Order: sequence, then C-alpha cells, then structure tokens
Amino acid sequence: MLHLIKYNLLVKLRNFNMVFWPLVFPLIMATFFFFAFGNLNDADFETVQVALVKESANPVFVFFLDQVQSGDSELIALHEMSEKDALDALSQKKISGIYYEQAIPDLTLNGQGIPESILQSVLESYENNLHTLQTILKKHPSGLLSALRQMSDTKELVREVSLGGKTIDGNSQFFYALVAMGCLYGCFIGFGSVITLQANLTALAARRCITPTHKLKLILSEQIASFLLGYADVIVLLLYLRNILNLDFQGQFGKMLIISLFGSLIGVSMGLFIGSLSRLNEGIKIGIMLAISMSCCFLSGLMNGSMKDTVEKHAPIINRFNPAALISDALYCINVYDDASRYYRNLITLIVMSAALVLASFLLIRRERYDSI
Amino acid sequence: MIHIENLVKRYGDLVALNHLNLDIKEGEIFGLLGPNGSGKTTAINCLLSLLKYDKGDIEIFGQKMTPDNYEVKQQIGIVLQNVAVFDELTVYENIDYFCGLYIHDKNRRRELVEEAIRFVGLEDYRKTRPQKLSGGLLRRLNIACGIAHKPRLIILDEPTVAVDPQSRNKILEGIQELNRQGSTIIYTSHYMEEVEQICTRIAIMDHGRVIASGTTEELKKMIKTGETITVEALLLTEKQLQDIRNLPHVFDVHYEDQILTLRCTGAQHNLIRILNYLQSQNLTFGRVFSELPTLNDVFLEITGKQLRD
Repeated sequence: MLHLIKYNLLVKLRNFNMVFWPLVFPLIMATFFFFAFGNLNDADFETVQVALVKESANPVFVFFLDQVQSGDSELIALHEMSEKDALDALSQKKISGIYYEQAIPDLTLNGQGIPESILQSVLESYENNLHTLQTILKKHPSGLLSALRQMSDTKELVREVSLGGKTIDGNSQFFYALVAMGCLYGCFIGFGSVITLQANLTALAARRCITPTHKLKLILSEQIASFLLGYADVIVLLLYLRNILNLDFQGQFGKMLIISLFGSLIGVSMGLFIGSLSRLNEGIKIGIMLAISMSCCFLSGLMNGSMKDTVEKHAPIINRFNPAALISDALYCINVYDDASRYYRNLITLIVMSAALVLASFLLIRRERYDSI
Repeated sequence: MIHIENLVKRYGDLVALNHLNLDIKEGEIFGLLGPNGSGKTTAINCLLSLLKYDKGDIEIFGQKMTPDNYEVKQQIGIVLQNVAVFDELTVYENIDYFCGLYIHDKNRRRELVEEAIRFVGLEDYRKTRPQKLSGGLLRRLNIACGIAHKPRLIILDEPTVAVDPQSRNKILEGIQELNRQGSTIIYTSHYMEEVEQICTRIAIMDHGRVIASGTTEELKKMIKTGETITVEALLLTEKQLQDIRNLPHVFDVHYEDQILTLRCTGAQHNLIRILNYLQSQNLTFGRVFSELPTLNDVFLEITGKQLRD
C-alpha cells in the first residue's frame, strides 16, 4: 500500500493540472486579492497640499488650520504664498486648493476628488465651530486655545466588533471564499486519480486493472494520496495567507485546519465523482468540474462580497449545500461569530456530502469487467 | 496452458468474436495475426477478464479466468497496444511501480527492475521521463513495465506499432529471448513478417474467428500458391497472355502497367517455363522475381483480401 501511495503522490506532484489549479492558482489569487484590497482598512491618503493666501488677518482661522496640519492624521500641508503663485501652483496641480485668510475665509478649488473634499470639509468644520469659538472668546478668552485643540482632536468613539467580541475586517470574507476555492480545486486531484482507475478510459488504467493488486486497494491508495495532497495544498494556502501576507485570522488556526481538512475532502471527492461519471469526454468532464466549482465559489462571495448574503436572503437552501459557502461560513464562524453550533453544522454537512460522493464514485469505478474498452 | 472455447463477444449488432476457439501450449510463441478490426485485441481483453463476453469459456493454467483470479493474474505480463506508462514518472520509477503491483519484496523488486532495464536497453535513460523518449524507446519502456516481474505468460498486443526498424529488431530479439528464458508468449500483430519471423505457431483471425492455424509451413501448405513470379517491363498481346494462362501449374495471371504477375502451384521449374516462353516469343523484359508464398498469400487466398487493409 505504501508503495502505491508513494508513487500516486509522486505522479500527482509532478502533474501540472494537479499542482497548478489546487495550489498555485489560489496562491496567485490570494496575492492579487491582497494587493487589490488587503490593505483597504489601513488606507493611507496622501497629505493634501494647500496654499494659504493672506488677504486680511484672521488669527483664529490660521490657528485652526495649524492645529489641523499638526494633527496625527497629517491631513493637510499648508504653504503660505502670494495669490499669483498660489493660482499658478493650483493650475499646475501642485496644490489641491487655496485658503484665503480673511474675516470670512474662502476656498478656491480646481476640480473634484478626495483632496478637494477634505479641504472643503476642513473649512466647513471651521465655520460650524466658529459660533462656539466666538462665545468662548467673549466669555472665557483664556480657554480659546484649549477649545481649539479639543475641536481638532477628533476621537472615534464607536468601534465595530463582532458578536464574539472579535474585530471585523470587511474584506476577510473574500479570503475565506478564496480558501474555499482552494479546497474545491482539489477536485482536479481527485479527477486525475479516477481517470487512471477505469480501464475503459485509459490504457494505463487497463494495465493497472489486470495486475494481481486488488482493485479496492488501487482505489483506496489513490483516494488517500489525493486527500493528502489536497489537504497539503490548502495548508500551504493558509500558511501563505497568515505568514506571508500577514492576514490577521482572529480564530484558532487549529480549527481552521480542521475546516480545511473537510474542505479538501469535499473538493477531492467532487473530482472523484465527476471523473467516475460515464464515458463523457475528459474535456467535458473538466468543463463540468470547473463550472460547478466556480459557481459554488461565486455564490459564496468570491467575486462579490454581498453575494452570500443575497443568496441567504432569497435562496438560503443553496448556502446550506454549497460546499464553498459551507467552508467560508465555517471560517467566518470561528473568526467572527464564535458560533460553535453553526461551525459544527457546516462541518457535518461537508462530511456527509464528501462521504456520499466518495461512496458514489467507488460504486461507479469498482467494477472489474467492462462492456467495451 | 490457455484454452478458449466458443467465445462470443458482441457490441450491439456487431459480432467482435464469433465462436472463437484457441489452444495455446506452454513454451510457444503464439502469433495472432489478422487485419485491424479482426478481433485480436478484443480476444486479448476477454482473455484478461477486462471485457465482459456473451458466451464461452476461458481457462489459463488450467483455471477458469475471472477478474478476481489473482493467482493467475500474478503469472501474466501484459504489453498493451497503446503505451501505458505514467508521464510523470521516470523510466526507473515506472518499471518499479508496475513491478511493485506484482512483487512486494523491495530487494527482489530492485533486482528485477534493473534486469528489465538492461533487457530492453534503457540503461542510459533510468532518470528520463517518457515524454523525452523516442517512439522506439517508449515502446521498450512499455515492454519493460509488462515483463519486469518475470511472468510465465506474456501477452504482447501489437508492441511494434510506429516503431523504427532498429527498435523493432531489438524488440523482436527480446521476445525470443524471453521465450528462451521460459515464458510463453502470445503475440498479436498485423505485420505478417514479424509473426513469420518469431512465432512458432500462428492463428490467422478474421471477423472474430480463427480462419487458419498452424506453423508457418503448415499454413503455407494449406494454400494453392507455391510460387509467385513477377516480370516487369513487358509488352504482351491478348493471345500471349492466354498462352501464359495455359502454361502448366499457372492458376492465376494478373497483367497491369506492363507488369505480369503469375501465381503457380508448388511444382518445380515454373520460372524456367515462363522464361522459355518469353524467349520463344522474342519478347524483351526487365526485372524478374520469384517469391515463395507469404502469410499474406495465405490470408489473401483464404479470405480473398489483403492482410493489410
């Protein structure tokens, strides 16, 4: 048996389709995802360059701008200059706007965008607070500076947390769906295995079937090797996400490995089952396999973050049986909800589906004599 | 050693094996000769219990052959018509893998694999993957995978298809050597020269049944043709052609594009007689050939068609 498993693993490790789709492709996708929106939560805006043109003195406005400029967020960078220079700089897009220091401050912009909105927002903030400042100036002039500092020091008083008390990264669901895709792409390994077990499909299978090695032993060794490789591929993907891309999985990594185990089981089983089906052309079978796995991933939110919720709203039954949705939901359970019952329900569904597929494919390929070859 | 009785295999309305009967003795190189579609490969697949059949009995080594008769399977080596090796494994790994399906002892297997590699002359390609082997070398690897475990019965199904002459000779010599070492060989082919060269007994198949069997000499004696004479670059009149048809022992005359082909019975002096006639008519001619009958003539005379369609 070890002899068979050893060579089955070697064959799979050297086969392009069995390495690229279940291992390399998810790694590439993970990298793309990371660069596309992996850092969205830490989005860093460039400091907005803005000119300050003195027309008449307004120390309160200048002080307000200084406070905004010196804040931790480094929102704006002020440059004092003449109106002519400021207009030149604006036309050359070296700055995003011009503040005019006067009794009622003014702002000149040269377009629309995030920097322009920020400058507008700063000015509106000053205007909104002006009345308060004027009252303080009248009643407690000594507290003016303190009031200004407090106004520019905005604090986030609301923090988004999950029911389980863990922080929610809105993009994490894409990576959970990606792990689900990695699991389902194990179908390429299962498919490649089963093709070499049916004497009516390949000469290689015929040669193996006429040896004194029991057919069940051949099938079992192929299934074990396929599951081992499929699982190893998903572990590599998880380690890549955690250790190379530094994604912060909040839940226990051990539990994620358990989900991946059953996830790779369902992926490989799906390949075994599709490969066992009748005498369909190999290309057609691969097409069916790709269509099913990609549809499952799409519905689980791989391409559109709100898809899983939409499915849950309109056809929840799909989410109960879509293996990709079950895998990503189980990952979500341990990383966000901390919902043990939902986690176990997902795992049990995956196990039952895998067992059904393995059994069905076993019944289809166990025969030893064929009507035609 | 092998007894096939009344074997019938149908694919719908098509009868692939039509009450096939065969007996193969231990130590033979038994040739199954027939055109493509004659039922050779179907017969082999039934023999190996890969194909279901509609009727008949198959016995190997005195035991009924069934898919789970592992004792019999242990003693059979098979070289299939299509190359059946793993593209992902090297030459050594492929042979080791297939040998391992028969031999479980590691040390014994290592010896057998090395022996098989030497036998087929792939010593310099141990670590080479099949895609990098030429057609001939690939066929040799295919053979090595089938014979490494030293089987008592080796079945080779058209092992020389698309093989260069050098590799073909190597393969044919190897088959004879395996036979000398004690293996019984079943060799299917539609190349009559190969079968004639190596087989000790031959069965000619057509339409799923054996139409003649015996040694090469026995088969040739079954037919009327004893000699085929060909005369090139010859201009003949209709009367002269008729005279030639009337020569003693000539039973078939074919004249086309100034080439005359005569088929004569096995009597002596046929060539001298035709040359004397041409001389008497003062006819000039080019090259002249005289050939003894081949298995193709046997097939042609029995079935009325050429062996190679």
